[in-house]
Amino acid sequence: MLTTPRLVAIALCAALNFAIGNIVYLIKLPIYLDSIGTILCALLIFPNRLAAIACAFIAGFISTILTGLILNPFLPWFSLTVLSIAIVSALLTGLATATFRTRPLPVVPFVTKVVLYGLITGIVSALASAPVVVYLFGGVTGSGSSFVVALFLKTGQQLLDSVVLAGLATDPIDKTLEVLLAALLYRATPREFIAMLAPAQPSAA
Amino acid sequence: MTPNGAVAFALLVIVSALLARDPVGLLVILTATSCFALASRRPVWSALVWSCGIVLPLVLFMTLVWIIIVGRAPHEIAANVEGSRSAASFYVTIICLRLFIIAFTVQATFLHFAGWTPLRFIGALALPRVAKKLLVLTLSLIDTILQAVDRARTALIGAGLITRQRSWRNLRHGWILVQTVWLTVITIVLGRTRDKWPVEDTLARLEGSLAARATARLSATDFGWMALAIATGVAGLR
Repeated sequence: MLTTPRLVAIALCAALNFAIGNIVYLIKLPIYLDSIGTILCALLIFPNRLAAIACAFIAGFISTILTGLILNPFLPWFSLTVLSIAIVSALLTGLATATFRTRPLPVVPFVTKVVLYGLITGIVSALASAPVVVYLFGGVTGSGSSFVVALFLKTGQQLLDSVVLAGLATDPIDKTLEVLLAALLYRATPREFIAMLAPAQPSAA
Repeated sequence: MTPNGAVAFALLVIVSALLARDPVGLLVILTATSCFALASRRPVWSALVWSCGIVLPLVLFMTLVWIIIVGRAPHEIAANVEGSRSAASFYVTIICLRLFIIAFTVQATFLHFAGWTPLRFIGALALPRVAKKLLVLTLSLIDTILQAVDRARTALIGAGLITRQRSWRNLRHGWILVQTVWLTVITIVLGRTRDKWPVEDTLARLEGSLAARATARLSATDFGWMALAIATGVAGLR
């Protein structure tokens, strides 16, 4: 499963997560964009779903650990969210790989699939993140969505419900953007590189 | 102290901080972490300032949300009682103290190995070979990506597609920059895996280098620090 080209792809996608996530974190954009590499890794290794889940999760996990050590020590707590994104990307978003690479770009199917899979990834990620946001951060993570949490709390909602609702209001937008960027990078990736990641064929002899 | 012992101590302290129920317990844990940081015999100020810088925005946000806007603690919301700002303040104190301990523990661990290179630190960790290799490759590729960003940016500024300052042109051609960076990195990676690494036998050399740096898993000092972390964790539970 973990051939040398795949190890390189994992490291590359982890580095991509790290680089983009850190730039976004440092310039304080109201989005995360720290899972583009995770989604891209699943797309690169699809259709081998099990390998895609494993490789995408490892890429995401390594980037959260490195970011946790260097920049944001609270990020590794979201490892379960990374796993959920890897699973959704490998099982669902991967189904659109043919559409993502078709030339010329089929605009309507491309946009439809990006939005659909982005929304699903966002919903799953919001549900997976909520327990960590509630227990570790007390519902307030320092992002703009904290005000949405405050709004729900003010109306008398319970903390977990407020965090889930706030996550459902903000995460799908972020994840749709991430799926879009991952799909465009996948589209731009040379065929030669994707072929290198396919499992080695047994020789005829 | 070995890197494995430092990581084990940090993990034990973090778990203890998560389980501690009141500010006194958390302060006991913070004291243990401070001793750990001081034992590195390096300037602790940088670690303190960095941790404060990470936690301060969260403190401000939590104060705004919990004390000013909501005005009551989660358990009061759950019980559907009117609640008070003092209960909300107590809740914010516990959460912020816990987050500060987590941030400071990570920094204190770094202090012990401040003079080490990432390769030496990763090599000394008790991790599977493939995990060590992945960590080193990722660190190497992060630098490759950052260099590719610099190169692509300079080339696109030279071509007049983007500018050094903020501009609409940057927004319009931003995607070209991203695509250029990605293609540059892919080309570099393809070149390395297909030509450079096999010729130079890089991966085998990397494995050899990581194996040579492997040290004792845990030392007696490590066990002492781990015992302290467990003791403070138990104290924090009371």
